[in-house]
Amino acid sequence: MTDHGADELSSRTGSPDGEDRAPEERSLLHQSLAVRELIDTEVSYLHVLQLCASDIRSHLQQLPQGDLDVLFSNIDDIIKVNSKLLHDLQETAAREEEQVQLIGSLFLEFQEELEQVYKVYCASYEQALLLVETYRKEPRLQGEIQDTIEAVLPQAGPSGLSFLLVIPLQRITKYPLLLQKILENTLPDASAYPVLQRATSALQDVVTNINEYKRRKEVASKYTKVEQLSLWERLARINTHTLSKKTTRLSQLLKQEAGLIPKTEDKEFDDLEESFHWVSLCVTELKNNVAAYLGNLEAFLRFRPQEYDLDIPGGPVVQYCYLARDLQLQAFPEFKQRLEALVWQPLCSLAKALAGPQNLIKKRLDKLLDFERVQEKLLEVGSMTYEEEAARHMYEALNSLLVAELPQFKQLAVRWLGQILCTFVTLQTDLAKQVLQRAEGSLAQLPHHHVSDPAFRKLVEDALGQTGHQLHSFQQNFEKVLPPPTTQPLLPGAERQVQALLSRYGPGKLYQVTSNISGSGTLDLTLPRGHIVALLQDKDTKGNSSRWLVDTGGHRGYVPAGKLELYHVVPREEELRGQAKPHSDSQRQTPEPTLALVPSVPAVTQVSATLTSFKPMSSPEVCIVEVICLRRVVGLRELQQLAQDHTAS
Amino acid sequence: MSWIPFKIGQPKKQIVPKTVERDFEREYGKLQQLEEQTKRLQKDMKKSTDADLAMSKSAVKISLDLLSNPLCEQDQDFLNMVTALDTAMKRMDAFNQEKVNQIQKTVIEPLKKFGSVFPSLNMAVKRREQALQDYRRLQAKVEKYEEKEKTGPVLAKLHQAREELRPVRDDFEAKNKQLLDEMPRFYSSRLDYFQPSFESLIRAQVVYYSEMHKIFGDLTQQLAQPGRPDEQRERENEARLSELRALSIVADD
Repeated sequence: MTDHGADELSSRTGSPDGEDRAPEERSLLHQSLAVRELIDTEVSYLHVLQLCASDIRSHLQQLPQGDLDVLFSNIDDIIKVNSKLLHDLQETAAREEEQVQLIGSLFLEFQEELEQVYKVYCASYEQALLLVETYRKEPRLQGEIQDTIEAVLPQAGPSGLSFLLVIPLQRITKYPLLLQKILENTLPDASAYPVLQRATSALQDVVTNINEYKRRKEVASKYTKVEQLSLWERLARINTHTLSKKTTRLSQLLKQEAGLIPKTEDKEFDDLEESFHWVSLCVTELKNNVAAYLGNLEAFLRFRPQEYDLDIPGGPVVQYCYLARDLQLQAFPEFKQRLEALVWQPLCSLAKALAGPQNLIKKRLDKLLDFERVQEKLLEVGSMTYEEEAARHMYEALNSLLVAELPQFKQLAVRWLGQILCTFVTLQTDLAKQVLQRAEGSLAQLPHHHVSDPAFRKLVEDALGQTGHQLHSFQQNFEKVLPPPTTQPLLPGAERQVQALLSRYGPGKLYQVTSNISGSGTLDLTLPRGHIVALLQDKDTKGNSSRWLVDTGGHRGYVPAGKLELYHVVPREEELRGQAKPHSDSQRQTPEPTLALVPSVPAVTQVSATLTSFKPMSSPEVCIVEVICLRRVVGLRELQQLAQDHTAS
Repeated sequence: MSWIPFKIGQPKKQIVPKTVERDFEREYGKLQQLEEQTKRLQKDMKKSTDADLAMSKSAVKISLDLLSNPLCEQDQDFLNMVTALDTAMKRMDAFNQEKVNQIQKTVIEPLKKFGSVFPSLNMAVKRREQALQDYRRLQAKVEKYEEKEKTGPVLAKLHQAREELRPVRDDFEAKNKQLLDEMPRFYSSRLDYFQPSFESLIRAQVVYYSEMHKIFGDLTQQLAQPGRPDEQRERENEARLSELRALSIVADD
């Protein structure tokens, strides 16, 4: 580097020659030399930087861009800042008397920027060195790199790349030294002195901070990796050392909880931790809730009522089907996809970012417990081992790291949360707009689109009421379609049985079997269709009202109620004859047909015609038979009427 | 429907003309399909509205949980935003409930009512079929006697068979006619019946989404995050993530 020249110069002036001059003059000379040195070295430094950034970097094309980014880091930003610094430094040269003072305030001005920009460079320096090592292992690549560098900066020497990369680090640490040299040669009562002093310590702080930052990053990277170890690896980790560490920590914690030793109260940290915990909770809950919301949205999109158009060719039904199809194929899927990309994904990333701090907080507590034990030991023994010192340092490092960065984390996280929520709201608005656009289009085509909402509601209510009645009448009409007449005649001998049942139980209790019953249980009956039974009870012992207890005249048992129909007795033929006088003569001439009991009940149509003896005769008999074999609801009057009609025909 | 094993056999005469049978099948077929569709529509509509309600409830939970987080006590801006969000969600949930109620009343209930007619219809068709079977059976019986040598007892039996047949035939004819009349009427009643329901359905959506647009639109304005294209939003999310990752305490993966 070209500051050798300036050094030589100042050392030469330190020769016996200079001792002849007045001390004040000598200081002044040294001061101006130091100032010159500062500026000159800045010039050459900047020059080298620019060569690196432009010529060398652009010629190292065989390296991937990612590598170049790591190697050269933010060298462009450094160049920007230092160019400005140099420019302002050179301007101070015009103002001779105040130059030193101006330089001092200039550095104070640039303190912040310098720290920011060199911090970043230093932090990635270690990684850059690793890369350089890997290149060194490939002789061909190494040779190419070396050639490129030598062509531009021959003074880089054999260690080429690493020589160049360390230059910014060297420079930033040089500033306090350069300023110190100027300060030493400034009279304490000079007006420039205080400023210069402040500037010197400020630049010293910058260096310290940069080192601290680097150390934190190293510490953090050791612990923030959420490690996914295999079981074997986990087991291998548990050696006696870690085991003893863990048990010691546990006992320390227990001692704390039991109140045997005072907890190191750190209110500030506890508050930060609590705050972080709330942020954590907020993010996790929100993520879960959004997941639930998305799940429900998916479920909603699975159902497609619009696929059933009830074979209605036009009108509102078709309008609805189009609308629903449209929404389901476009508007809603778009909404879902945007939700996933702009709300769900960021939430997942945010949730993942929580892991690092959580780990560190846990580690800090572990180290704190270690630290406390060390404190105890210190009190007892009066000294501590190297390992114990390390524990203390580690705890302090973690603590300061967390104290510094947790507030920032919280602030950034909350800000991001806010943005995510705003996006959620905007997506809802957009969805509503989309749906409205389409739905209003459909609405305009509806017959009652001009009707106001309350009026329409009334309209629908009325319409539904009316059509409801119509439906009811349909239902009734269908129910009027009655079971077919049973043509199963009564079995011979059944008539007597029926009479017996009738006399014992009365007319209201007789039922006829409408279809074959086959009983399954011990008390269930098996009866053919047409059989007559009398009802004993309309439910069984368990209260089941679809199973009835009946008497067949011979047996008693259970039958299904659904297979029974009420069987009504109609007055016997004699009475019939008694009232249907016009036919009495013709009837007496024929052997009395033993009439079967004719059921006649409004909801029931049954026919039973048993004629024990019958001879084909002329139509009057037929007419009687017909009269008897009626299948409709009949009153005696109708019976009369029908008989009359038939005789007439 | 040959669940009655005939001892006598099928009648020779085609008692029901093919055209009549075909008409009946066609009309009944249409109604059977309508029944199926009505059932499915009702089920899907119900499931859809249930999912809709669930979605709204989970949206309310989002803001409710946020509001109960102590972060709100520390950060006034956050509290304001979350409160506004919560109000909006609750209002939307109320409107959603109203929408679902309206759908329940004007679409799902009518569907149910319409569907309840079908059991009676199916029963009536079954009874007609039973009547047809009886008719067939007795017709065959009559034909059997008609073919036999006309002796006294045969004639007697024939006469009896004819007497048995007549009421059954009349019964079947009556049922057939009734159903052939009623079925098409019932089928076409669906047009008048359902149009108001679906109109109501569309209108309910318009009402709900109008409210939603207004409420969320106002909220968007209030939160001062006006329309930005999605790519921009994605870039912002990337930026936020990078900011977080720049911190040492955040893991880089």
